[in-house]
Amino acid sequence: MNPVLKLLMMLVIALEISFTTSVRLNLVIFIVSLIYLIFFASFKRIIYLLFVTLIPAIGIYFAQKINGNYQYGILLVTRLYAFVTLGGTYTCRTSIEDLAGSLEQNFRVPSKFAYGVMGAFNLIETIKQEIIDIKLAAKMRNVHLSYVSPTLYFKSILAAMNWSTLLAQGMNSHLFVEGSSRTHFKKITIKTTDYLILIVVLIAIQIILIF
Amino acid sequence: MKNTWSLRNIILLTLISIICGIIFFATGFLYNAVSLALTPYGLAPLANDLLLGLWIMAAPLAGFIFKRPGAPFLAEVIGAIVEMFLGGQWGVETVVTGIEQGIATELGFVATKYKHFDWLGLIATTISTTVITFIYDWFKNGYNAYAIHLLIIMFIVRFISIFIFGGVLSKLIANMLEKSHVIK
Repeated sequence: MNPVLKLLMMLVIALEISFTTSVRLNLVIFIVSLIYLIFFASFKRIIYLLFVTLIPAIGIYFAQKINGNYQYGILLVTRLYAFVTLGGTYTCRTSIEDLAGSLEQNFRVPSKFAYGVMGAFNLIETIKQEIIDIKLAAKMRNVHLSYVSPTLYFKSILAAMNWSTLLAQGMNSHLFVEGSSRTHFKKITIKTTDYLILIVVLIAIQIILIF
Repeated sequence: MKNTWSLRNIILLTLISIICGIIFFATGFLYNAVSLALTPYGLAPLANDLLLGLWIMAAPLAGFIFKRPGAPFLAEVIGAIVEMFLGGQWGVETVVTGIEQGIATELGFVATKYKHFDWLGLIATTISTTVITFIYDWFKNGYNAYAIHLLIIMFIVRFISIFIFGGVLSKLIANMLEKSHVIK
């Protein structure tokens, strides 16, 4: 399915279960998403999603039981699991390149946004290392930088300013011109079946909600 | 900085979101720990309010650094999309929350007509973010079922958290950048 339409579909579903109180719909979404995950995601990922969510799930359940409404606790726990498994289905088969490519080719998002975000995304490992380096350098001077120290952010943002200039220059020197039309090696299209899936899924959800 | 979004500024904006994301990856564990500690008292949702300021920080920070319409919203939404692809446990829900929090912070700057990137702007964004995220949680996280005294505590805790982390901390960072003349 087209990455943007898929994201749109999931955003609508997520919004809808945020504002409705149907345990049945949550369970249906949870089970369908879980089956999808079993087919397409790694075993480790599924276990991670199910177990890490237990902590907020138990927390919310007891909070409602002690300070709120017991029935509501069950609804919130099923909603939590519906969110987590639904979210997991998106990233297990779609990459950020697909999403950016589709936004640029099918939805006229300026190419500088698509490629700029993608370029920055590929710097993540460098940033992680930089933050470790900044903390280590501070430790050598007996200064502890925690995540609430402005200095830590200040230094990382300075580094980021440097990288963003370098990366933009690098992209320009590889003939990336802002605003000019581009050719594509990987063409992303929207098929009629994509629209059909979108409509059918959304209608199915309304039907489960109403009946 | 020019008035339009240049390639360099888009990359920088994304990097700022990612930096906040990576530093706060630790708060994910912190959240689970605080949440667990509060569970026996039935106060687990308070962990969310307590740490919310850390999660929304990218938006006011981008606002103070770029000082132009759209920066807070874009920073928050791009940050959410990146977090989703990094494999955060909340998946698509991160994007919904990102859009909602981005709009919330943006509204604070809109209220000051993008002229006050000082303490007034800081207070305006704190109020708009607190109120809008609270309304969203009212529905999504079932806050409407909690007892009234708990709600008042949660609202105050949320306000303080957003004021300290989203407001004061990001303002301090922006001040340091201004003093070193890398932003105007």
